[in-house]
Parts: sequence; structure tokens; C-alpha cells
Amino acid sequence: MADAPHNAGYMAAAYVATALILLAYAVSLYRRAARR
Amino acid sequence: MTLARKGHWTTVVGLVLLGGVYVRAVVFTPVERLQGPAQKIFYLHVPAAVWTELAMVLVGVASVVFLFLKDPRLDRFAEASAEVGTVFAAIVLTTGPIWGKTVWGTWWAWDARLTSTLFLFFLYIGYLLLRGAVGDAGARARYAAVLGICGMALVPFIHLSVYLFRTLHPQPIILKPSAPSLPPSMLVTWLLSFAVFTVLYVGFVMQRYALGRAREEGDDG
Repeated sequence: MADAPHNAGYMAAAYVATALILLAYAVSLYRRAARR
Repeated sequence: MTLARKGHWTTVVGLVLLGGVYVRAVVFTPVERLQGPAQKIFYLHVPAAVWTELAMVLVGVASVVFLFLKDPRLDRFAEASAEVGTVFAAIVLTTGPIWGKTVWGTWWAWDARLTSTLFLFFLYIGYLLLRGAVGDAGARARYAAVLGICGMALVPFIHLSVYLFRTLHPQPIILKPSAPSLPPSMLVTWLLSFAVFTVLYVGFVMQRYALGRAREEGDDG
């Protein structure tokens, strides 16, 4: 798409942020369970 | 296999499948002509938003039934669903402004949809803070149930806010009375992403429920 805006950086930022939030919560649950 | 282990492996499967959704969305789904690649934020933002709302509805339903039956499993589920809903709300409030900055030209606008979603996030935080602040288990469950029901009452307002007010936020293009206004390739990507967010919700709630149960058994012991 030649006339589409060049904003792939915003997409990448959102995808990385989502992965980080989900991974951080998964690790948090795992560590809390391991402490029990 | 314990509930915690089942939840752990469900989450692992969900995270691996999310990687597959990333590949499909970025490589195999067409770029939207007007918004460019940033439109693909939609495949994460909207499923997370739907589960932010559904998680609060489930908190509310569990809370209503809890007030009648006084079954601690319902209170434990509501607590787990609220914590996972908070995480999904954080995704919504992170990805939304990133999309807004490139498409609207601003990170944030105080319109009805954005403001009510932010309010729902604060309500989630308040719910979790309330649970941490009340020592007596019976009172904690009752107070939290009342707040959970209030949160559930907010959800229809959030969903309908784009119809009730003039908002900058786009109107629904999937969850609306008529057929989704998306080409099939984009719709399939969205449906796959929604299915993966569902797996993640289930996996997280199973783990958080098991953690709550272990804490209660520890307190009893």
C-alpha cells in the first residue's frame, strides 16, 4: 500500500507492550504460587 | 493435575498461540489503506476490551449469586476475574492511546468511551484495594460483592457510550446488531485473537483462583 501511512512503529510498540503486560502478569502469578 | 497446574499450562498455551496471532496479524493480514499498519493494533485492543468488560460482568454475576448463596467459591472467582480484568484493562489503556496518537493525532481525549473505560479501570483497582483493606473475610466478600455489582452496571453504559454521546472513539464494527464491517481476512484474525484472549482469561483465572484458595487454606491453618 504505497499511500498508507508509515506508522508501523506504533503497531510494534502496542504489540510489544501487550506481550510485556501479559508476560509480567503470568510471571507474577507463577512466582506468587511458587511462594506458597 | 491441580487447578494451578492446569491454569499454568493453559496460560502457556495461550501465550504461544498469541505469538501465532502476532504472525498472522503482522504478516498475513492486509494493511488497511487509510490507517496503515497501526490499524493492526485493533486485533489486540478490541479483544482485550471485550474481555475487560466481560470479566467485570462475570464479577457482577458471581457477586449477585454470592449474596444469595454465600458460597466462598463465588467470591474467590470474582476476585480472580477482577484481577485478570485489571490486567486486560491495562492493555486496553496502553494500546488505545498508541493507536490514537498516530490516527487521531493525540494520545488521549476525554470522550465518553475513553473516560468511562478509564473509570472502569479505577473501579477494578478500587475493588482490589477494598479486598486488601478489609480484614474480616465475611465483610470483605460482602463489600466486594456490592462494588462488583456496581461495576457490572457500568459495562452496558461503556459499550453504548459511542451511541449515546458524540465521541471520537470509533463505533463498534464487530459487536453490533448488524453484520461485522470487516473483510473476511481481517475478521478471521480478530476472531483468532479473541479466542486466544479467551484462553488467556481462563488460564489466568484458574491460576488466580487456585492462589486465592491456597491463601484461605493457609489462613485457616
